[in-house]
Amino acid sequence: MATGFKLTRKGITANLEPGERDLLRKLFSDVQELLEPDTAADTDPLAAMVGIDPSAAVPDDSALLRLLPNGTTDNDDDALEFRRFTERSLRESKQSALRAAALQLEAAPLRLDTEQAQLFARALNDVRLVLGDRLGIEDDETAERLHDITDPSKAEDVDGYLALVYNFVTWLQETLMQALLDSLN
Amino acid sequence: MATSTATGTDTLTREETDTLTAADVPWVVIVWNDPVNLMSYVSYVFQSYFGYSESKSHRLMLEVHQAGKSVVATGSRESAERDTLAMHSYGLWATFQKADAA
Repeated sequence: MATGFKLTRKGITANLEPGERDLLRKLFSDVQELLEPDTAADTDPLAAMVGIDPSAAVPDDSALLRLLPNGTTDNDDDALEFRRFTERSLRESKQSALRAAALQLEAAPLRLDTEQAQLFARALNDVRLVLGDRLGIEDDETAERLHDITDPSKAEDVDGYLALVYNFVTWLQETLMQALLDSLN
Repeated sequence: MATSTATGTDTLTREETDTLTAADVPWVVIVWNDPVNLMSYVSYVFQSYFGYSESKSHRLMLEVHQAGKSVVATGSRESAERDTLAMHSYGLWATFQKADAA
């Protein structure tokens, strides 16, 4: 069992089992793939260069919409315009955090400086947002009910397994956030 | 004395003009509650990104959690858009709008 993240004099460190590292690597890569843009980046070279995506649209996939939410609530045109100007760079920024986090998994034990720890926290958070959507976590009550699923022998179906994975990533992120909060003081 | 009074009037006039300019109506960034983001994470993002104190970050985080949303920043449209995008990059669900519509 992993020991989670701790703030030490040598940075923020964690001991993860090989199986846990493999799992995280797979999750980071799955979310990175989900964030790949549908359209080719070379539609309009100038637009692509400055990060504008004229074809950006509200995602159909609810998990992807949670990662790339609308920037305004009251006006669809404003939300779409904001999306066209920002979505591509948001996708890239999230993918690069996921990539950076996956690279950190190559070291055992993990040892992160503040910037690396922040990227790792963003990656874990995006993984949890996707898992949370797949598990149908829409309110605090569902979240709390799922939180009790920690016994692998009781994970009989896909949702049970997903809940176990979700709880592991939640626990790991919580230890990372405590270490990061400790580092501020 | 006279010069001083004149300066005061000038300043007042300029301030009044400013508040009437539509471009100067402040914009706000709202963070919305969701059941997945950890309270510790939200609080850390407010501290590290906005540079807010631990107590202010904690108060804003609790407001998001309990009231469903919280205005976390106020400023120009540009800064509100920038902050909204930054919140999205952290995985927080944020929107921007004119302050008078909040």
